[in-house]
Amino acid sequence: MEPPKIWRERRGKYLVLGILCQDCKKKSFPITQYCPHCSSENIAELKLAQTGKILHFTRVSQTAEELMFYAPYIIGLVELDDGIKVTGQITDTKLEDLTEGMKVRMVFRTLSKNGEEGLIGYGFKFVLI
Amino acid sequence: MSKREVYVIGYGITKFGEHYELNPSSSATQALSKAIQDAKISKDLIQSLYFGSLVSNRNDQSYIGAEASRECNLNIPITKIDVGNASGAGAFHQAFIAIKSGLLDCIAVLGTEKLSDFVNSSTLEKILGGTIDYLWEFEQGATLTSLYAWMTQAHMKEFNTTMEQLASVPVKNHKNGVNNPIAQFRREISLKRFLDAKRISDPIGRFDPATNCDGSAAVVIASKEFVESHSEIEKKVKVVGSAQSSDKISLHHRETLSSLLATQIASKKAYEMAQISSKDISIAEVHDSYPIGEILAIEDLGFFQKGDGGKATIEGKTQLNSDISVNTSGGLKARGDPFGATGIAQIVEIIQQMRREADKRQVDDIKYGLTQNVMGTGASVLVHILSNMEDDK
Ligand SMILES: [Zn+2]
Repeated sequence: MEPPKIWRERRGKYLVLGILCQDCKKKSFPITQYCPHCSSENIAELKLAQTGKILHFTRVSQTAEELMFYAPYIIGLVELDDGIKVTGQITDTKLEDLTEGMKVRMVFRTLSKNGEEGLIGYGFKFVLI
Repeated sequence: MSKREVYVIGYGITKFGEHYELNPSSSATQALSKAIQDAKISKDLIQSLYFGSLVSNRNDQSYIGAEASRECNLNIPITKIDVGNASGAGAFHQAFIAIKSGLLDCIAVLGTEKLSDFVNSSTLEKILGGTIDYLWEFEQGATLTSLYAWMTQAHMKEFNTTMEQLASVPVKNHKNGVNNPIAQFRREISLKRFLDAKRISDPIGRFDPATNCDGSAAVVIASKEFVESHSEIEKKVKVVGSAQSSDKISLHHRETLSSLLATQIASKKAYEMAQISSKDISIAEVHDSYPIGEILAIEDLGFFQKGDGGKATIEGKTQLNSDISVNTSGGLKARGDPFGATGIAQIVEIIQQMRREADKRQVDDIKYGLTQNVMGTGASVLVHILSNMEDDK
């Protein structure tokens, strides 16, 4: 990732913020300028729930170079306790130990590395509770 | 809607596979010049070239259409249409609209891709990352394959679709591909081989995804007025439906993973335009980049009830010369998937079938043929319907 993009996305990637629409009262993720439900611009940032359950998961062994550092890894579709769904890695565990519906907690981790000298991408992953 | 009628009057296609000897523009030119020759018209009559390609910009030379037109010596407008890996069908849709509008009468449409230049598979994974939500799926660690794995899981859970039913999709398509001279893989693969293969993204196995390869396909399309005033045109196939729809790009924003909303909407629009229903379709080329892709397609296009796609496939209801022959070409799986070329290759297969040029994979008594081309995990879907019926108007 390029520095301007890392800077721009820092609130979503590092603080895991979504939005709460002040008009239709619906939550959504990621942060957008307009509410994806009603297109209102009258929005407020919202901290997402930090725990949730696994809806789907599978293994990834081949991806872009900068993401290969931890491969093979497990990628999951997680429904947070506030109803928002997000995509994230499920780490510190093995594929065989996972089942759908397991409870997970968000953790802050390294996501990508652009070689020895490049920028490191950070963001959230999940661990089993 | 405009009553203007649109016909495909010529097609050209290259052999799909790994062509290290060909540079991207040569591959594109082969298909384009074959299509013009097949249309029997003078190339000077072509008024515009629309082309679709996902990665031609990354083969150093951006805007590959310009190079292809040099070898054809054309000085017409050349426009790249971008619908990600469904850009071939996207270009066809825009060309269809241009003729319908009445402004143009004869257009060449090209789909082209040169993927064997990318020897590092990480490069292609990153390119495909651009067809899903790059920021919130791909950079989080998801890949196109892993997302299709979730869609497969969802269908298995909801409708008890089995691994055997899923594997029966590529088994059928490889069987069809044997008889397609341009297919990358012209050999059968047994159900057991698919089932025994190592899982790469469970439940997706090593042999399940279509292979990314090189290939180009082109067609020439024209208005009815143009066809009637050029007696040199020998063969024509009518385009009766052309529609595109979209859906949320990220799976985590969708209501369901067991159907593609964009397929449902686009096909409904295409059926309405053609004034037919799914029951009238005899042959279909659908986006089987993963086995679940074809199962979702045959349900969302209305050929089978939701949830019955796997069962229908294993029972042979989509095989050659059954009620609905699906992927007679071998599909993306056996033909190979050069992204931007695939949407046009699907249309080429329908034309070959309707012109009775499909040899051992020929289907009899075709009324209507349909194609379905998917971008990413279904963020955009294009559906086209071609007719073999005699003009009754
Ligand atoms: Zn709102």
